[in-house]
Amino acid sequence: MWRQVLGIAYLESRWVRRQPLWLVQGLVGTIGFTIIIYVWGSLNALRNLILAYVVAGAWGLGLNIVAQTIGWDRQNRRLEHLVASPVTLPAYFLGVVLGCSPFLVTEVLPALAIALLLGLDPFPLLALIPVAALALLLGAFLSLSILLRIRNPTNISAITNPLYTFTITLPPVYYPLIILPPPMRLPALAVPTVALMEAARWLTGYAPTACEPAWTLASLATWMTITALIVARRFKWGLE
Amino acid sequence: MISCKIKLLEDAAIEARGLGRRYGNVWGLRNATFSVEKGELVVLVGPNGAGKTTTIRILTTNLRPSRGRARVLGFDIVREYREVRRRIAYMPQEFIVGWDHTPFEVVAWGLVARGWPIGDAKAQARRWLELVGLWEERNRPLRTLSGGQRRRATVAAVLATEADVIFLDEPTVGLDVEVRHVVWRAIRETVAGGASILLTTHDMGEAETIGDRVVLINEGVTVAEGKPYDLVKELPYEYRIVVGKFDGLEEYGEYIDLGDRAVIYARSYGEAVRLVEELASHAPIYMIGRVGLEDAYLRLVRGHVEAGAGDSVPRVQVG
Repeated sequence: MWRQVLGIAYLESRWVRRQPLWLVQGLVGTIGFTIIIYVWGSLNALRNLILAYVVAGAWGLGLNIVAQTIGWDRQNRRLEHLVASPVTLPAYFLGVVLGCSPFLVTEVLPALAIALLLGLDPFPLLALIPVAALALLLGAFLSLSILLRIRNPTNISAITNPLYTFTITLPPVYYPLIILPPPMRLPALAVPTVALMEAARWLTGYAPTACEPAWTLASLATWMTITALIVARRFKWGLE
Repeated sequence: MISCKIKLLEDAAIEARGLGRRYGNVWGLRNATFSVEKGELVVLVGPNGAGKTTTIRILTTNLRPSRGRARVLGFDIVREYREVRRRIAYMPQEFIVGWDHTPFEVVAWGLVARGWPIGDAKAQARRWLELVGLWEERNRPLRTLSGGQRRRATVAAVLATEADVIFLDEPTVGLDVEVRHVVWRAIRETVAGGASILLTTHDMGEAETIGDRVVLINEGVTVAEGKPYDLVKELPYEYRIVVGKFDGLEEYGEYIDLGDRAVIYARSYGEAVRLVEELASHAPIYMIGRVGLEDAYLRLVRGHVEAGAGDSVPRVQVG
């Protein structure tokens, strides 16, 4: 299976490698933004930023890039071509994720490197790995559950880009949930990115949480179940 | 739903019996029954919307049949789809295998994705790109190549898989004559190597040139099957004359209306000579030639339409 994953990843990463300036743009933006946040908000602000980078980066990778890639592969009949081959659905999905991952790496790694240079405790960061994986999966599932309902989307990014903005910019992702008035905190957890950030704060201890972890987990479990069911129903690997 | 209890041949490359597929209330395919032997190239022809692509999508395990059964290399396409997928390759209609990729990448890394070792995949990519005349362009992104070059790269990526059964949905549509011949050569070499191919086309010249057998599908039903030459031999005519249309043309027998021209048929060389002499006094003669698969196709499709398409339409088995 690893060869299948490698082959798909190489082919899917080609458009990333053809546009290296996009990666440079992400890299420079991350470094600059990290410095700005540290200068204005010190290490405490940087801790929040690291969490938000990982969650927003993985969420964006799943929601925008992975789902767009799968959507386009479906549109241009590449999925039909792959179904009629030994390539399996898990190998295809992993290959797409791996092929698109340079975006996440260029956004998250510099921020982590700077944070470590500034004396941030690195071990809690390991707890972010499952949160990032969940964010990626949930982002992809949410996006696909919308994209797959549309017969012929003329511009897939016209759907996924606003979805990213609605779930990342407005809700408490880059700012803490605890800033919201108490009555608004629990309802805010209904937004999947807010729940993911709360999980990240809870697991790393980098920042205070605003709600009981049980509510956070319940929100994530609900989102995961609903979107996975929709995708499983709509996204068939052949035999449609 | 009609139950289909027909014994399928286990040694055929493809065996379809009573295949049907319904989209909502509409049957896109009603009764496809044909077979493809191992090492054989069968061409599936038929009008637009006849069910050719639906048939191929079912056989490639992309679509689930609503009725009927099919086997690929003895494996049931629904119950044993994993075994089928390990042994097939498919080029969908209008499919271009990449855009920012180079021809070398799409062939080599496409093979890696199918499980080939990287070294073998690269050697195979070189072989096939040389065969389709793209080796010099191997490192140029497909978006910078011509439509014909992109199509050749796609065909190479599919044929290079060395799959036992290959499905090609209109692989040469829109290609110029020379490029079409390059693709035909690649396809025939694959068949000579032992693969079985099911190919769709609207080009009857292509069907009679590279097809070992032709299956005609119309309104979702397979209506004729045979070697191209045998299908043509069944025609009651030997010659076709393209003539300018004029009043009274119908007196000279059956003809096909082409607006200001018509195709009129002759049963023998003598009749053709006589017809040309007579017709030339009324209108210009544009072309005289022997009848071909296109004429057989038109006759079979029209006959089918006149008879009324349905599950019980009699099949023409020739050869």
